[in-house]
Amino acid sequence: ECGHISLSAPIVRLGDPITASCVISQNCSHLGPEPQILWKLEAELQPGGRQQHLPNGTQLSTITLPHLNYSQALLSCCLRWGNSLQILDQAKLQAGYPPATPHNVSCLMNLTTNSLICQWEPGPDTHLPTNFTLKSFKSRGNCQTQEDSIPDCVPEDGQSHCSIPRKHLQLYQNLGIWVEAKNALGTSVSQKLCLVPMDVVKLEPPTLWALEPSPEVPPLQPGCLRLRWETWKPSLHIEQKCELRHQPQLGEASWDLVGALPSRTLRYELCGLLPSTAYTLQMRCTRWRLPGHWSDWSPSLELITTQR
Amino acid sequence: LGPASSLPQSFLLKGLEQVRKIQADSLELQERLCAAHKLCHPEELVLLGHSLGIPQASLSSCSSQALQLTGCLIQLHSGLFLYQGLLQALAGISPELAPTLDTLQLDVTDFATNIWLQMEDLGMAPASPPTPGTTLTFTSAFQRRAGGVLVAAKLQRFLELAYRVLRYLAEP
Repeated sequence: ECGHISLSAPIVRLGDPITASCVISQNCSHLGPEPQILWKLEAELQPGGRQQHLPNGTQLSTITLPHLNYSQALLSCCLRWGNSLQILDQAKLQAGYPPATPHNVSCLMNLTTNSLICQWEPGPDTHLPTNFTLKSFKSRGNCQTQEDSIPDCVPEDGQSHCSIPRKHLQLYQNLGIWVEAKNALGTSVSQKLCLVPMDVVKLEPPTLWALEPSPEVPPLQPGCLRLRWETWKPSLHIEQKCELRHQPQLGEASWDLVGALPSRTLRYELCGLLPSTAYTLQMRCTRWRLPGHWSDWSPSLELITTQR
Repeated sequence: LGPASSLPQSFLLKGLEQVRKIQADSLELQERLCAAHKLCHPEELVLLGHSLGIPQASLSSCSSQALQLTGCLIQLHSGLFLYQGLLQALAGISPELAPTLDTLQLDVTDFATNIWLQMEDLGMAPASPPTPGTTLTFTSAFQRRAGGVLVAAKLQRFLELAYRVLRYLAEP
């Protein structure tokens, strides 16, 4: 081995100094008595190398780069040889930042995937490989004491969300949950959440249907609509309340809201609307009397009110 | 104040929600056993049930005539604990049914845990949790599936009683 570089640290903070040393072994015998060691950072020669001749006949050069402003760069140890510059060794320099504190951690219980999905804001780019881990444990009280730990949830590369599968969850007990970020320059930990998975359930909206006129049902009054809706099947066991919003398809009309509706009904009549007018209707539901999140609004149902 | 005064309303509402979920899980297991293996009527499996020794959990302390709250909760918990064990014995029932069985087991276990923790919070819990009884052994795939039908049917009956008492306790 002709030359060998060693670094003060493989990774430093962006803008911090880094010191490198290069040893040229004696067996590069074809070189002159006093070979001149030169340093290149990427393609640029770097002044300031301090060279010395060691008792064992090897040459040593040390250089300190005061501010490493590359997140990744190649540092080369070279020798002037005739008119050329011979590269004897290279080292990869890395610089970046320790991870910022992950923030805005939030979780939703998803009954479709039957998992608790948590997401977070990772913070600014650290320029370094940074691993995020969602950590959690089951707890009795308000997450002050840890009962059973839950396996770490490791998100897919570059993702800021992770799903804890049903088998690791107790849906009706407290869960302490937080995000840890780690890279070569340090570790940071988010604020800890304490939640009950079912209390952060987010349902899918119900399905709205038009009701075909039928002989058993009296004709509609002018300015009325008739519809029905069905609960999202995986949430049939959950007591819910729903909201219906409707909007005439006229220019910039705003939505009107009908609240506190049951999660399913076979027939619902909405009156007091403009006659002979096309309306857009949507519905959303939330777990109710027990906590939960509102579903998104359902796909629209378009109906036309009866004539005067 | 009614018998449920010591039980938090949220516990009762969650309990009702959990019973409905377990009923749905159990119904799905029954439907899948019927569709896949034509085992649709527990009444056709009574003799087999006796030979297998599948027990029925009692909720005698939960009857509305003579409701004994601590005793009722203990029976609810030990009944769920019993069905946890029976469902565990069904493991390997069939690859298609395994996800349904896993979900049912998880939900039953969750509900049993909630009742136990609530009893502990109220100082009603027995000194030590129940210990598993004799485990059922099935000697054939058929027995495991038939056992699934019988366990699901008994669990449904148990849940109907549990739902009634929880709803009674939840009445304002």
